[in-house]
Amino acid sequence: MSSLSIRDVRKAYGPTEVLKGIDIDIDSGDFLVLVGPSGCGKSTLLNMIAGLDSITSGEIRIEEQLVNDTHPSERDIAMVFQSYALYPNMNVEKNISFGLEMRKMPRKQRRERVAEVARMLQIEPLLKRKPSQLSGGQRQRVAMGRALVREPKIFLFDEPLSNLDAKLRVDMRTEIKKLHQRLGSTIVYVTHDQIEAMTLATKIAIMKSGVLQQLGAPGELYNQPANMFVAGFMGSPSMNLVPAELVASGDEPAVRVTLKDGDSMLLPVGDNPAYRDWVGKPVILGLRPENITDEGSAEQDSPLLFQGECLIDVTEPTGADVFAIIELNGREVVGRMRSSCGAKAGEKLPVVFNMRHAVLFDPQTENRIG
Amino acid sequence: MASAVETGAQSGRFWRVLIYVTLIVFAAFYLLPLFVMLVTSFKSLDEIRQGNMLALPLQWTIEPWLSAWGSACVGLTCEGIHGYVGNSIKMVIPSVLISTLLGALNGYVLTKWRFPGHRWVFGLMLFGCFIPFQIVLIPMSQVLGLFGLAGTTAGLVLVHVTYGIGFTTLFFRNYYEAFPNELVRAAMIDGAGFFRIFWRILLPSSGPIIVVTVIWQFTNVWNDFLFGASFAAGQSAPMTVALNNLVSSSTGVKEYNVHMAAAMIAALPTLLVYILAGRYFVRGLMAGSVKG
Repeated sequence: MSSLSIRDVRKAYGPTEVLKGIDIDIDSGDFLVLVGPSGCGKSTLLNMIAGLDSITSGEIRIEEQLVNDTHPSERDIAMVFQSYALYPNMNVEKNISFGLEMRKMPRKQRRERVAEVARMLQIEPLLKRKPSQLSGGQRQRVAMGRALVREPKIFLFDEPLSNLDAKLRVDMRTEIKKLHQRLGSTIVYVTHDQIEAMTLATKIAIMKSGVLQQLGAPGELYNQPANMFVAGFMGSPSMNLVPAELVASGDEPAVRVTLKDGDSMLLPVGDNPAYRDWVGKPVILGLRPENITDEGSAEQDSPLLFQGECLIDVTEPTGADVFAIIELNGREVVGRMRSSCGAKAGEKLPVVFNMRHAVLFDPQTENRIG
Repeated sequence: MASAVETGAQSGRFWRVLIYVTLIVFAAFYLLPLFVMLVTSFKSLDEIRQGNMLALPLQWTIEPWLSAWGSACVGLTCEGIHGYVGNSIKMVIPSVLISTLLGALNGYVLTKWRFPGHRWVFGLMLFGCFIPFQIVLIPMSQVLGLFGLAGTTAGLVLVHVTYGIGFTTLFFRNYYEAFPNELVRAAMIDGAGFFRIFWRILLPSSGPIIVVTVIWQFTNVWNDFLFGASFAAGQSAPMTVALNNLVSSSTGVKEYNVHMAAAMIAALPTLLVYILAGRYFVRGLMAGSVKG
């Protein structure tokens, strides 16, 4: 059953349209992450789902029920805000139970529900404290407790981790994921952090200037990005995008790349029927850093492995890996190698190109070919 | 080197002493009237006639205070000013409470429930703060007559509430401007309505600004003379008017000691309010101005 359905939703402030017809459907138990650069409209969309912003046109349905004009309190949603929005005058227990009190739940039942949530989030010792006496991570937990205790149809998270320090953010991320797996709840989560999106989501909706760029599972977005924006936004370091010409090499289409020293290579891109019309035309080759690597860490079962001697411009060791920067067709590209592969700046290294995951883009429309 | 440091320290000390001396002189200068009032109110009339205004009483007496409270003549009645103090209290408490509450409500609506034209409404309210008292005297007396409130304490309450709303709205609007909107949104999702959000979330977090508003309104209403003299006559007059009548009563000897005691009684409530809550007053004003 579709848990949340967004149909051609638009939002305009006067003549400026900030959401230009969004269509998203998610099922019960899905973890949808809305991701995109700031100003892309993701928070506006979340506020519209919550009922805190009006809908200019289109439809939002929660469990098949049209909620366009329903008050936020009657949509059966709960929201975790970026600033946590804990009521400063109430202690933790009151903060969590306020929503239940407003819904006229008897005191005894409220106590039980709060105790249960507090146990789940391990905030039992904090129940009598005021929000000002809590650390950032504790506030975050209380804010989640306030949402959990309501047992709503949909949880809405508005960049809930962006106010935490780096380590705590990673811990809380895991915790949110665990919580989702245990409760099987439906979640809509807004973030600008693509790693958060990749790790948490069962579905990602990636947006740019009010337009939905792609909706799909994290792996789908990562491996088959709909366009160059998605390719560049997801993944870190982002996908290498190199202008090249598609040529026919035997029966197979291949791209021709030129290395820094002038050597030229033909890299077959697999037999995709859509590529045939593009033979002889310029395309953009998209290749992720992990597919430009040393011999030892290449995907051994890939049918499309090609090796070339490349001059390394710069190396950036990260500890686990080393990012090596080489030049293809005059563009700097990043390859991800093992630390022990012996890559040194200014020296040549045999580099393996794994073309199984290569994607091609139309240079004009920037959309993926095929 | 050493001497240079020393002269530096010495000149620093010199300026410090100068600053303190100046401050003490000014403080004494400002406190002088209060001192004269206090010592005079504890002297007998005979001692006052001897003429040394600044001297401490040779014989301390609280007779003038008792007289001012219970038996001094105000106009034609000789029951002291206690009845008028009662009038002032009956006037000041509802005025302060109602105007503060309305100001808070206005501030809440003007920041969290904005409507088209909210700027205009706020602008006009601000403008209301600058209207001089004298301009509204005649229209106000007509309105009071229309409502049948002329010459009553209730009428004075209405006048002070009306006049105070501009200021109280200004205070609360600036305070609530800095109050996070997300809290209001969270409460909305939690199912709280307009008044519930106000009572349960905003008002309990408004301590400092409530103190500021209460002090401001209390001193203004308590010290008001013009409205009291214009709209409440005779037995329902507030204490400021009674004090004037007491002092300007032209029959018999001028009992300076009684007048001073009555004036002290009149000034005590505002003094107390400042001493008890003055710290919050400054703090609240700062908070409002910096964040707003």
